[in-house]
Amino acid sequence: MMSSSWTASKADTLPCDAPGLSGRPNSRVIFMHTAYRRPRPTRPILFLAPAIAVLAVFFLGPILVNTVIAFTDMGATLQIDGFSLGNFQRIVQRDMRLPGILLTTLVYVASTLLLFNVTLGASLAVATSAVPERLGNLFRGLWLLPRMSPAVLYGILWIWIVDPTGAGLLNQVTGALGLPQMNLRNDHPLMLIVVINGVVGASFAMIILTSAIRSIPAHLADAARVDGASEWSVLRHVTLPALWAPVRFITMYQVLSLLTTYEYILIITGGGPVYDSTPYALYIYRRAFENGAYGYGAALALGLMVIGVVITLLQWRLTNMRDTFAAPKIEVL
Amino acid sequence: MILLRSFCLTVSTIAMTAAAAHAEDITIKLWTLADRSAPARVTNIEAAADLMNHQFEAAGSDTRVVIDANASTVQGWDDLALDTLKAFAVGMGPDISVLPHEWIGQFADAGYAMNMDAEIAAKPWVYGDILPNLWEAAKGSDGSIYGVPQDAEIRMFFYNKDMLREIGKDEAFIDGLPAAVEAGDFTLDDLTALAKEVVDDGAAEYGMLHRPNVGIDYLMVFQSFGVEFMDPDTGKLQLPKQEMRDALAWYQNAADQGVTPRDNTQMSWDTIKSNFKQENAFLFHQGVWAVAWQAGDDIANSWPTDGDGYFDKIGWIPAPAAHKGGAPVNLSHPLLYTVNPESDHAELAAELVALATLPYFNNQHAVSSYHTAISHAQEAMPAYRDNWALSAASKLMDRAKFVPNHTEFGSYNRILFNGLQAVETGAMTADEAIEFIADEIDLQMGDDVIIVDSLEG
Repeated sequence: MMSSSWTASKADTLPCDAPGLSGRPNSRVIFMHTAYRRPRPTRPILFLAPAIAVLAVFFLGPILVNTVIAFTDMGATLQIDGFSLGNFQRIVQRDMRLPGILLTTLVYVASTLLLFNVTLGASLAVATSAVPERLGNLFRGLWLLPRMSPAVLYGILWIWIVDPTGAGLLNQVTGALGLPQMNLRNDHPLMLIVVINGVVGASFAMIILTSAIRSIPAHLADAARVDGASEWSVLRHVTLPALWAPVRFITMYQVLSLLTTYEYILIITGGGPVYDSTPYALYIYRRAFENGAYGYGAALALGLMVIGVVITLLQWRLTNMRDTFAAPKIEVL
Repeated sequence: MILLRSFCLTVSTIAMTAAAAHAEDITIKLWTLADRSAPARVTNIEAAADLMNHQFEAAGSDTRVVIDANASTVQGWDDLALDTLKAFAVGMGPDISVLPHEWIGQFADAGYAMNMDAEIAAKPWVYGDILPNLWEAAKGSDGSIYGVPQDAEIRMFFYNKDMLREIGKDEAFIDGLPAAVEAGDFTLDDLTALAKEVVDDGAAEYGMLHRPNVGIDYLMVFQSFGVEFMDPDTGKLQLPKQEMRDALAWYQNAADQGVTPRDNTQMSWDTIKSNFKQENAFLFHQGVWAVAWQAGDDIANSWPTDGDGYFDKIGWIPAPAAHKGGAPVNLSHPLLYTVNPESDHAELAAELVALATLPYFNNQHAVSSYHTAISHAQEAMPAYRDNWALSAASKLMDRAKFVPNHTEFGSYNRILFNGLQAVETGAMTADEAIEFIADEIDLQMGDDVIIVDSLEG
C-alpha cells in the first residue's frame, strides 16, 4: 500500500513534457489521475489456474485413468470385461519375474547414481572448475552433447561402440591391444546400461555442482590457503562441504529419473537378454505394450508410483531436505 | 493491399479445392508393415483403386477412390497387429489391414475383421481359385473366413553348398542332402554336426543364423520335435513341455557348440543377412522371399541370379526331422487382407481387396517379392512359371503347416522366443527355460493354455 501511494504521488508530480515517456519530446503527455483504490483480496486460484489445469490434464488425469485401468482386465483390444484385484494378486503372488526385476532395478539405480550421477558428476564439476574457464566451458559443452542429442542417435552410437564383431569401436580398441573381443550386450548387459545412462546422467550433476562451486566465496579458499591448507585440503574442507546440499537434491531427483526412464535401455539392449537388463519401468512397458496386457501394466505402474513416493519421502527424511529448502539465515545483498 | 488480395485469393482457392475434394473423393485407409522388398501390398490396392476410378469415370461418375496408405515402421507384424488393435479400439481402425494370419482370431472375435464368407461366395471369379489350404489360415474360431490371403510363402533352411565343397564333401553328398532330409535319414542333430564341421574347418564364421526377433521360422524346429501348438479337441493353445524342452535343447546345443552365435537374437537383420550373403554363415533359416536379397544387389557380394547358378551355390531343405525316420517340417505364414466391418466404405474396401487379389495383381507382388502364389491360375502364369525360385518353392507348399489362428498365439510365441533367447545366450539351460516359459504362460494366459508334460502317451 505504501508503494502504490508513493507511485501515485510521484507520477502526479512528473512534468508533462518529460522526455522518454512518449518517445517524442514535444508531445503532450496526459496523465490520468487514478483515484486511490482499496486493495482487493487476492484470488490465488486465478493465478494458480493455469498450473492446476496443466497438473490436472497431464498428471492427475493420467494417474486417475491408470488407477482405474489397474483394476481391469484390459488386454490387446482395450476392452474391459470387469473390475477386480486380479492384477495386484498377480503382482504379489504369481509374478516370478518381479523379485529379479526389483533387484536389477536396485543395482541399476544405485550404481548409476553413486558411480556416475554423483561421483563422476562431482568430479567433472571440480575438474572443469579447476581448469581455465573457456576450456572448462568447452568440456562441459561437449559432455552435454548426448543429453542434447535424440535418444535414438545416442543409442545407435552405443550399439556401434559395443558391436560384438570386429567392427565395433570397443572391439577395435581391444583388438589393437591384443585382448579378446567383448560382447557387452550379451555378457554384461546390466553393467552396460549403467554406463550408458551414467555418462548422460553425470552431466546433470556436473552443471549444478559447477554452479555451486562458483557460488563459494573465493575468500574462503584464500583464507584456507593463507592458513597453509593444501589444494586437497581446500577441496575437502571448503569445496566439498558446500556441495552437500545440491548433492542431496541431485540424488533425490536422479533416483526418480532413473526409476522412471528406460529409453536408452529399450533402444540398446531391449531389456534383454530375456529380462537381464530390464529395470522396473521397462518391465511395465514390456508387459503392457509387448503383450497388450494394459491392465497388468497399469497395476505395475501404480506400484512404481508407490515406490517413487516412498523412496522420496525416505530421502527427504534421511537427508534432511527440509533444511535445503529453508529460508537463508543470512541475507547476502 | 496486394498482400491482402493474395491472401484472400489463396484462402478461397484452398476452400474451393477442399469443398471439391470433399464432394468427390472417398478415402480408403490401408495399414501394412513397411517392407521395401514388397511394395505391392500397397500398390496393388492402389492399382485396384485406379481401375475402379477409370470405371467411375467411364460411367460419368465424379466419385474417386483415394488410397491413404500407412506403411508402419514398427519392428514386426506382431507389433503392427497390436497397434492396429489399439487403433480399432479407439475407433481409428483402417478400412483395410494387412495382418499375419494367426491374428485373425483376435480381430474376428473383437469385430474388427469382416466375415468374408458371403463375399467369397459372391465372387467366384476371384476367390474360386485360391489355394484351399490358404483359406484354412484365414478362419476364425467359429470356422468362418475373416480375411483374404494377400500372399503365401514357405520357410526353409538355406545352406551354402560352396562351404560343403570347401570342407571336402563330394557332390553326391551335397546333391543327396535334400533327399536324405525328406527321407528322415538326416536329422536336426546331423545338421548341427555338419554346421560345426563347416565352422571348425574354417569355411564359415557362423554355422547357423536365424531371425533376431519374434517370428515364425524357428517354430519349424519346434514342430519337428513334435510340438503341436493347439489342442485339436479343445481348440486351446497347449504347451507340451517335453517336446518343447527338446527343441530348446537343440538350440542350446547349437550355441554351446559354437554353431549359432550367442548374440544371434541381438544382431540386426542387416548384420544377419550380410553374414549369409557375404558367406560368413553356413545355414540361415527364413522364407523363400529371402531370395529377393540373396539374388539381388542390395547387399554386397553378387550371387548368381539364374536358377542353375543359384542352386549350384545354395540349397534349400525343410527343418529336418528331430529323430531318424521322422518327418521334416515346412511352415507357411500367409498374410491376409482384412476389411473393417464398421467402415463407412466397407463394401468398397472389400471390392478393392477382391480386385487386388486377382491373379494379375497378386502375381506382381509374388514375382517382385518372391512370395508363392495364392491361386492355381498364378502358378500357370508365365511370369510366375518362369521364376525359378517361386516354381521351386511352390512344390514345398503341399505339406506346409501353419501356426494356429488363436487369439493368444502372438503372446505365446513371444514367450517362446524369450525362452529361445535365454538358452542361446546361455542365461538358462533348456530345463530352466521350459520352466520359465511355463511360468510366463501361466502368468499371462492362465487357463487359456493347457500345459502338459508330453504329448506322447
